[in-house]
Amino acid sequence: MPVSPVVEIAFALSALVILVSSVAVVLVKNPVRATLLLIVSFLPTSLVYILLQAAFVGILQILVYAGAIMMLFTFVIMMINPSPKDGESPVGGSEGGEGGFSGLRGALIGLLIVGGLGALLLPMVFQAASQVSVAPVTKPGFGELSSISALLFEDPANNPLTVSFELISFLILVGIIAALNFSRRKGASADKEHAITTRPTEALPIVAREKAMDTK
Amino acid sequence: MNISLFNLPNCLMLSMLLVLIGSYGVFRRRSLILVLLSIEVMLNGVNLSLVSFNFFRWGTVENSHYLYMLSIGVAAVEAAVGLSMIIVLFKNYNDITRNRISQLGEHAR
Repeated sequence: MPVSPVVEIAFALSALVILVSSVAVVLVKNPVRATLLLIVSFLPTSLVYILLQAAFVGILQILVYAGAIMMLFTFVIMMINPSPKDGESPVGGSEGGEGGFSGLRGALIGLLIVGGLGALLLPMVFQAASQVSVAPVTKPGFGELSSISALLFEDPANNPLTVSFELISFLILVGIIAALNFSRRKGASADKEHAITTRPTEALPIVAREKAMDTK
Repeated sequence: MNISLFNLPNCLMLSMLLVLIGSYGVFRRRSLILVLLSIEVMLNGVNLSLVSFNFFRWGTVENSHYLYMLSIGVAAVEAAVGLSMIIVLFKNYNDITRNRISQLGEHAR
């Protein structure tokens, strides 16, 4: 099948950049650098999506993935403030650890596990690829926003994709509630302590009792 | 150019390598943030295989583009919940290595 050499070169270069930066994400010790390298690997991924005639997916990759989710990671890394010592800091700490394998032996075991997984996946890849012998046939306007929206929202009363797409918002709501619950658990007891100071007339005997019980 | 690079086996090979790289990170990294980043690498590989299958085999319906949107929704929720768990661990223990994850439900101090 004739593919333009520009497409070939763009695909090869972006695949190279994706692989190199993904390996760097896994191997680097500083979490800030890992996040930035992951953004670097997302940009050529969106180029591959555009080559696959999925321009809207490529835009979503940059806007949502590189823009929003990676920003969330950056915020959290900023909040918990990794120490400048990369190798030994609890935040950026690299490999092994107590109860784990460290150094060369750990890397060897990790490579063994990953190699076994790859040996499982590789025949699947070849089998899936061998069943495709025809050139890609795309309809005109494939991957454009009007086509995707027609797929999702045409005849919304009978379209199962519409319902399941709206259910994603319910999933995100559940995620928000879970995150709020996690952050609330420690704060609830702190609120109770603060409530003493906000109501001085009721709180005065409690404070006195606590002071009496304080042995320090 | 008679040698063709842009075809389904190469796209699938790229996504398989991304999944393997990410799984190596999940096995090897000690910091929970880096484990989450490795999971994002794996998700990236899976999304790439979805979209390339849709282009090379079913060029008439954009079902995988819909699946990609669902996948990034799941990835956003996973990042939010995982990062809030990391923040709770860091508040309680001042430490976010992966051995701490078993002590998430216990009361700190």
